[in-house]
Amino acid sequence: MALFRQTTWLLWKDLLLEMRRRESLVSMFFFAALLLFLFHFAFEFSTERAAEMAPGLLWLASIFTGTLGLTQLFQAERENHCLEALLLSPVDRGALYLSKFAFHLLLMCLMELFTFPLFGVLFNLDFWRLLPSLGLFAFVGTVGFCVLGTLFSAVTLKARARELLLPLILFPLMIPVILATIRGMEIILRTGELEEALPWLRLLIGFDVIFLTAAFLIFEWVIEA
Amino acid sequence: MAQIEQKGLGRRILGGLALLFVLLGLYVALVQAPPDAYQGEVQRIMYLHIPSILVAYLSFFIVFVGSCLFLWKREKRDDTLAYAAAETGVLFTGLTIVEGSIWGRPTWGVWWTWDARLTLTAILFLIFVSYLMLRSLIEDEERGALCGAVLGIIGFLDIPLIHMSVYWWRTLHQPPSILRPDKAPWENIHPSMLLALAINLVAFALLYFYLLSLRFRLGEMREELKRIKLYGGP
Amino acid sequence: MGPWGFVFLAYGIVWAVVLVYLLFLKHRLSQVATELERQRTSEDAASRPRG
Repeated sequence: MALFRQTTWLLWKDLLLEMRRRESLVSMFFFAALLLFLFHFAFEFSTERAAEMAPGLLWLASIFTGTLGLTQLFQAERENHCLEALLLSPVDRGALYLSKFAFHLLLMCLMELFTFPLFGVLFNLDFWRLLPSLGLFAFVGTVGFCVLGTLFSAVTLKARARELLLPLILFPLMIPVILATIRGMEIILRTGELEEALPWLRLLIGFDVIFLTAAFLIFEWVIEA
Repeated sequence: MAQIEQKGLGRRILGGLALLFVLLGLYVALVQAPPDAYQGEVQRIMYLHIPSILVAYLSFFIVFVGSCLFLWKREKRDDTLAYAAAETGVLFTGLTIVEGSIWGRPTWGVWWTWDARLTLTAILFLIFVSYLMLRSLIEDEERGALCGAVLGIIGFLDIPLIHMSVYWWRTLHQPPSILRPDKAPWENIHPSMLLALAINLVAFALLYFYLLSLRFRLGEMREELKRIKLYGGP
Repeated sequence: MGPWGFVFLAYGIVWAVVLVYLLFLKHRLSQVATELERQRTSEDAASRPRG
């Protein structure tokens, strides 16, 4: 249907831009790696402690890196009146939201695919067997982050001090996602199984569904303003 | 002019009633109600704390309703209401945190603890603050109203999820400790204490609506001023 | 600090803050009111027909 096609067009446009200039992805990679380095200097810990703190540190690194990416999310549209042009065209506003959401989700997932193993290497963690379940949690959590992040990136588009305002607004709203993802990953690392962590996973999925719907509906008012 | 006189009168009556109940509430809370069997005199802070938190949540609900109405009908009044409720909401949420902290010090021995209630109140405070920051940092008025409405709606929808996640976090992982369990203060309550609580609830509600109406009036007058400056008339 | 000390601290802070906010609102209201009056009278003067 039209919405799906428009979303894929817009997503392809962003991917093409990113593949040519590679500014967002590479900086996000390096920023995440830098954060992991800093964490190692900041916290002196043994391997056991590293396992305890891994979910928190990993997820915080993801969130901070993702927030940086969000401030750049609509950057291409701000230049050369692209946004006005897009809005003048008959493209569905929802498609614009979905394509930006999908684009940022992709960037963050790629960044996490790189960061998680790096963390394991840097902190001598033996969690390779558990990476799929950890990855599942991280993915669902990242979806939650991108859902609201994309919406509020558009909301703060023309605000002053937007690099500060965006995290200020986003982080309190993100608390269910942060708590659920970190607790879930912690349970997986501790027990080795997904079983006990399922309530948290359900919370995350609920969050994703509710806010994907809400943001999709609200986005058109935000971007038109 | 007559309409404005009438509005002023309603507000003054509300203010007078609020003052009456506040004073009455002070008397029952500090003098008449007996001290708690376990907590002693410090329990009297609850006559501030419970009404404050309830009023804070009410405020958030009003922000939500105002935001929904504004997104739907685009009438400036609804946005003025939402903004006013956010400001008064920040006030009462901040007070709730301070009261909770002061109550916690003699009761638990610490000024702050990450128990579910205090944490939730702190998160609510942060969301309110982010709303006010958003409004003040967006220069275009119309856009500011719109974006504020989005935050008001999303924030409210998020509250049940924040509640759930914070409560699970605290109950699943809190080891047994000397800290008091999260018991609702209105269980096992003596009737005269219930009365004191009820009176203070009414007092806070009246006070809140009085402050809200003042702040709302301020918002409307500012709008009128802007209209006159821009268009030379209402 | 004894128990009553904490009680009075809490009550003191709450009512002091409420009072300050109330006075702040009233002050702003009177400011805007005078500004409105000024605008209205100057507008009346401007719109009054000349001659």
